[in-house]
Amino acid sequence: MAVYEHLYGAYEGESHSAWSRFLVIPRYALRETFKSKLFTTIFILCFIYPLVAAILVYLHHNVNALALLQINVRELLPIDASFFLTFVQVQSAFAFILTVLVAPPLISRDLSNNALPLYLCRPLSRAEYVLGKMAVLVFLLSLITWIPGLLIFFFQASLAGLAWLWANLWMIQAIFSGSMVWIIMLSLLALAVSSLVKWRVVASGALLGLFFVPTAFGQIINELFLTRNGHLISLWATMKNVWSGLFGLFVRKTGEIRGRVTTPIYDNELVDIALLEPPLWASWLTIALICAVCVWLLARKVRAYEVIK
Amino acid sequence: MSLTTEIREPNAATDLKQPDMSRARATSWSLWTRQTLAIMRLEIKKNFLSRRALLLYLMAGLPLVLLSALALFPPPNDELENFSELSQVYAAIYGGLILRTLVFFGCAWVFMNLFRGEVVDRSLHYYFLAPVRREVLVVGKYLSGLIATVLLFSITTVGSVVILYFWRFPTESARYFFDGAGASQMLAYLGVTILACIGYGAVFLIVGLFFRNPIIPALLLYGWEWINFLLPPFLKKISVIHYLQSLVPVPMSEGPFAVLVEPTPAWISVPSLLLFTGIVLFLASLHIRRMEISYAGD
Repeated sequence: MAVYEHLYGAYEGESHSAWSRFLVIPRYALRETFKSKLFTTIFILCFIYPLVAAILVYLHHNVNALALLQINVRELLPIDASFFLTFVQVQSAFAFILTVLVAPPLISRDLSNNALPLYLCRPLSRAEYVLGKMAVLVFLLSLITWIPGLLIFFFQASLAGLAWLWANLWMIQAIFSGSMVWIIMLSLLALAVSSLVKWRVVASGALLGLFFVPTAFGQIINELFLTRNGHLISLWATMKNVWSGLFGLFVRKTGEIRGRVTTPIYDNELVDIALLEPPLWASWLTIALICAVCVWLLARKVRAYEVIK
Repeated sequence: MSLTTEIREPNAATDLKQPDMSRARATSWSLWTRQTLAIMRLEIKKNFLSRRALLLYLMAGLPLVLLSALALFPPPNDELENFSELSQVYAAIYGGLILRTLVFFGCAWVFMNLFRGEVVDRSLHYYFLAPVRREVLVVGKYLSGLIATVLLFSITTVGSVVILYFWRFPTESARYFFDGAGASQMLAYLGVTILACIGYGAVFLIVGLFFRNPIIPALLLYGWEWINFLLPPFLKKISVIHYLQSLVPVPMSEGPFAVLVEPTPAWISVPSLLLFTGIVLFLASLHIRRMEISYAGD
């Protein structure tokens, strides 16, 4: 058909309700993501630990299996708060790897190809655009963190009985909110880095650096200054404290060391100094601050146009 | 660009009716050297002056900031009050922060971007269209990355020593460094930093060349280097950190779970790392000769 014969045609497809428009973005992004064999392999590997955890839960309640494997039930890990805390920590580590793989091109590709105006000229706000990009990560990371976590929790509840369920009902909230805090922080951080750095590889590198360099730096601060406040600059250590708090396993005093102190009471005397983890509110505040900075960066960078001098 | 002016000599050499092979070879070498230097000049500018260099400066400056803070706000720590314990403190900072984290990530940042950065900038074809042997390009780029990382992390290594020792114990430190074992220890740390840049640089150069998404290999490598203390003796030797740790003047305890092995002597460690670098550069040269650029997807 000749070009001049093309006439304007109104959109005749199904129209989306205003609140669900942002879901168009994850639909296409997820399709793109699963085209990568590397990603699919790592995504499958993320389910190994939940499988192991489910087997452990099963073994706890199956006398025949224990007899067959010649294992005493006391030799198995107890299915309690620390079991689910470990589960959340392990799966969150996998969530970080998935984020490093998936997140960097999410916004950077649109920015480097000047595609943002194409999104924002449609009935989609900037917030919805970011929400749509975030939904990709939230969906994928939920699949490997709190969803299998809750499935294992209910599996254990179904085998242990109602009494166990009632006694440990609070853990549902701990598994869900612990995972969601990590997912939201990771997503915001990754999207902010992706919007700042237009190149995928550089964005991935920056994300890795943001995670590992402050961790090592914080560790050295802890060793040198005889403190545990260095954990506040390490994302992982901060989150570990938050998770421990949610599972009721947070202990502030993690060690003791002899040091020389000069205060109005002690004059250059050797005393035992308690090594205290930062209080829980400080860890929550750190996470809130990181998220706020990321939201601010996203608000600055995600714009339909850019004035270049 | 200076590269275009350097094209003529090989043509002149090939145009000789009666080629004098040794003369032609000598001309080629001098041409390659000049081309390498020209590429290095261009790349060094990028490594030091581009926006990407900011992260490198930040990483190189971290220990200096930390140790300045330590000098200004001394903690109630016996080790830091005792001059003889400072070598242990420095060994911990060097091993835990500088060598294993900052030099590692700094080299990853610089060397992976040497080629991958050109691909994402869509500028690698300018180099490939220039009449330069691709092996020369590899060497030029590698040397430029090496100069950048060696310079910055050497400043970090020496600066950290100076701040830690001289800020609090100037007299003892002066005696230790000018009359005692301090200078040789500092030189040994400097040597380890340089060797780390050489070794990690070669690894990340080839990772950046072979992988479209080099982050996963980098992550695996980081994990491998971190669990090195748990590995059996044979596997320990398949890592850069094992050879570097063998050369560190003040060895650090690796914890109760570490598998203890004899450190590899310097006369094996240093040539091994250099040989490994040579092999990696050779492989990179072989790979780049057949390399075709595809900017799609980056």
